[in-house]
Amino acid sequence: MTTIQHPVHPSVDDPSHALHAESDEEFRLRLRAFLTSGGPGPRPRDPRERVAWTKAWHRNLYDAGYAGPSFPQEVGGMDLPFGRQVIYQEEIARAKVPGALGTGLGIVAPTIIRYGTEVQKQTWVRAMLRHDEVWCQGYSEPGAGSDLPSLRTTARREGSGEDEVYVVNGQKVWTSSGILADTLFCLVRTGSQESRQKGITYLIIDAKAPGVTIRPLKDLNGGTIFAEVFLDDVRVPVANRIGEENSGWALVRTSLGHERAAGSMNQAARYRRVLDELIQLAQERGLTSDPLIRDQLADFDIRVRLMRFNAERIIAGILERGEPGPTSSVSRLMLTTFEQELHEFAVDMLGPDGLVTKASDAAVQRARWLSGFLTSRAATIGAGTAEIQRNTIAEQVLRLPHDPAMPPR
Amino acid sequence: MSGQAEELQELREVTRRFLADKASISDTRRVVESGRSCDEAVWKQMAEQIGLQGIAVPEQFGGAGMGPVELGVVCEELGRTLYAGPFFATVVMAAQALVAADDVEAAERWLPGIVEGALTGTLAVADLTGEIDPEKVLTTAEPDGEGGWRLTGSKRFVVDGCSADLILAAALVEGEVGLFGIDGDAAGLTREPLAQLDPTRALAVLTFEATPAQRVATDAAAVLGRVRDLVSAHLAAEQAGGAAAALEMAVEYAKVREQFGRPIGSFQAIKHMCADRLLDVESARNAASAAAALLADHDPEASLTASAAAAWAGPAFTRVAKDNIQIHGGIGFTWEHDAHYFLKRAKSSEVLFGSPAHHRARVADLAGI
Repeated sequence: MTTIQHPVHPSVDDPSHALHAESDEEFRLRLRAFLTSGGPGPRPRDPRERVAWTKAWHRNLYDAGYAGPSFPQEVGGMDLPFGRQVIYQEEIARAKVPGALGTGLGIVAPTIIRYGTEVQKQTWVRAMLRHDEVWCQGYSEPGAGSDLPSLRTTARREGSGEDEVYVVNGQKVWTSSGILADTLFCLVRTGSQESRQKGITYLIIDAKAPGVTIRPLKDLNGGTIFAEVFLDDVRVPVANRIGEENSGWALVRTSLGHERAAGSMNQAARYRRVLDELIQLAQERGLTSDPLIRDQLADFDIRVRLMRFNAERIIAGILERGEPGPTSSVSRLMLTTFEQELHEFAVDMLGPDGLVTKASDAAVQRARWLSGFLTSRAATIGAGTAEIQRNTIAEQVLRLPHDPAMPPR
Repeated sequence: MSGQAEELQELREVTRRFLADKASISDTRRVVESGRSCDEAVWKQMAEQIGLQGIAVPEQFGGAGMGPVELGVVCEELGRTLYAGPFFATVVMAAQALVAADDVEAAERWLPGIVEGALTGTLAVADLTGEIDPEKVLTTAEPDGEGGWRLTGSKRFVVDGCSADLILAAALVEGEVGLFGIDGDAAGLTREPLAQLDPTRALAVLTFEATPAQRVATDAAAVLGRVRDLVSAHLAAEQAGGAAAALEMAVEYAKVREQFGRPIGSFQAIKHMCADRLLDVESARNAASAAAALLADHDPEASLTASAAAAWAGPAFTRVAKDNIQIHGGIGFTWEHDAHYFLKRAKSSEVLFGSPAHHRARVADLAGI
C-alpha cells in the first residue's frame, strides 16, 4: 500500500475556489480545455502499455484537481454539486479519455468515505483516485452468487495488540480486471455460517501479500475480463477492516449522493453511437431496404431515445426533488436487454458473415457484433442478475411482499 | 422544486382529485353500461370548476394559454380512469387544430364554446383509416357559390363522431387538402355509430352528401401535421396513465390475493412480470412528456419523438393490461371486473391513429434509416 499522496494543484487556478465564482458554462469550458490540451495522447495498442498509459492519465487528472467529481475535497475529490457532476460526466464522455481501472472508485471508495477512519480515507481513496493502486472486488464465490450472504471465505483473528491480524482463507470469483489488482476489497465471514449477513466483515486485502493467488478466468468469448482469487492463510492487519466486525453487510452498496445517476446520460449516448454504427453498416450493405430490418432498426432507435428520456427524468428528479424516482430502478433493465438484443440482431442481420471471428481477416468490423453478442450475456448476470434485480424492483419500488421461502433481506 | 415542476404537480393533483370525485373508473363503467358515451354534467363541471377544456387554448379565445406539456399531464390523468367523454376528440383533436390554424375568425367562432364546455368537437382526416394523414384524404369539397362549401365523401373511425357539435374534416379542393367545419346537425350529414372493441371511446362513420361546410382558412397540411404529432404525444400520455393505473391495480391485488397460504405477489413469477411492466410504464410516461416538451418548443425533433412515444406507449399499455388480467386470474376474465376495460382501451388506442409498425416506419423515415 502506498504512502499518502496529497493533491497537487499546480497553479493559482484552484478548481475548488473557481467553482463558486464561475458559471456552469464556464466550468464546462474550463474542463473541456483541460481535457483537450492535457489529454492522454494516442491510445497504445499493446495491452500492457495501455494500462500504463491509463494510469498516467488518471494521475494527471488527479494532480490537476479533476478527479473524483462526487468525492469530498478532503480526500482529493472535487465535491461538485449534482448538476456539475452531470456536466463533468458529459465532458469526460465527449473527450473519449480512458475510464478508471478496477472497480474500486465506484464501489468501495464511497464506502470508505462514509464509514472509514481518517487514515483509511486519506490513504486508500487518494491512492485509488490517483491510480497509484488498482482496486478490485472480492465478493462473489463459487458457492455464493446471487445468494451472497452465504459466502464462506473465513477470517479468524490471531495475535494481539498492534500485531493482531485476520487470517483469511477461501476463494473469490468473477473479480473484474482481477489480473491488474493491487488491492482487493472483500467480504469475509467472521461470524458463524448460519449468521449469514450478520457475520460478514469488510476487509481490504493487499493483492501482493503472501497467500494471495490471482488467476485469469477465460470467458466464453476467449477473453480475460474476470479473474479468480485464492486466499490461503493471508494475514491482513485488523486496521484494514472497514467498520465493525460482523457489520460489513450494511456497508455494501453505499453510494455518495447520486453519483451513478450523473453518468446515466452517457450510457444512452454510448448506445446511440453503437446503434448509429450498426445503422450505417446496414445501409452500406444495402439492408435497410428490407422492411423487417428497417422496422427492427427503428425499434432500437426508439429504445435508445427512451433511454435518454429516462436518464433526463432521473437527473431532473434529483435536481428538482432530491431523489431519482422509480425510473432509476428500472433503467438498467432497459439497458441490459437492449445491449443483448442489439448485438444478437446485428449477428442475424449479417447472416453467415456475422459468424466469422476476429481471428479471420474476413471478419466484419473485427467481429465486434459477434463479440458483443457473446460478452453481452454477462449484462444480465454481473452486478446482480436481472432476476434478482426484478425481485428488488418488485419489493422496494412496488412494495410487493417478500418471498417467505427466501431468507430475510 | 422549480416553478414549472410545482405548477405541473398542482395541475396533476387538481385533475386527479376532480376525476376521483366525479369521473373515476367506476364512473366510466356506469356511463358506458348505461349505453352513453359521456356524462354531460361532469363535462360541464370539468370546464366550469377546473377549466380543463381550455388549458391549451390561448387566452384571447378564453383559454388558460398553456401548451402541450400541461395538456399532456391532463391526458395522463384522464387515461388513469379511462375517462369516457369527448375530451380527446374535442380538446386534443378539434381545439388543437383550431389553435394551430391561423384563421382567427374560425378560432373566435368555435374555441370559446369549447373552453366553456358548451361545444364538443372532433377531427376527421383519412377517409378510411382514422389516421391524421393529409395524404389519405378522399372526400372532396366544392364552393356552393355563396361563400360556403359543400363536402362529399365519407369518414370512418371518427372519434365521438355521432355526438360532436362541430366536425372538422379534411377534404380535397382541386387536389389540395383543405380543412372544413361542419355542424353536427348539418343537412346531408349521416352519422352511424360503429360497433367496436373499446366501449369507453365512441367511434362513428360519417357520410357527407353535399354537406354544407365552412372553410378554415389555413395551410391545412401544416395544421394536420402539427395535430398528428400532438395526438401521438397526448395519446401516449393517456396510454401511460392507463398503464400506470392497470399496473397499480395488478400490484394491489397481488399483495392481498393469497394462494398456497401466501400473497401471490410474493412469488417471483408475479414479481418479475410487475417489474418488467414498471419499466414499460416509466418509459412510456417519460417518452410522452419528452415529446410534449419538444412540441411546446416547436423543436425539429418533435415529430420523430412523438412517433417514438406512440410506438412505445401503445404496446406498453397493452402488455400491462394483459398482465393485469393474468395476475387477477379468473376474476380478471369476468365482465364485472374493470380489467377488461383497460385491455380494450389499450388495444384500441394502440392501433386507432396508426399502428406501432406505422410509427416505427415514420421514425425510420425521419431518422434517415
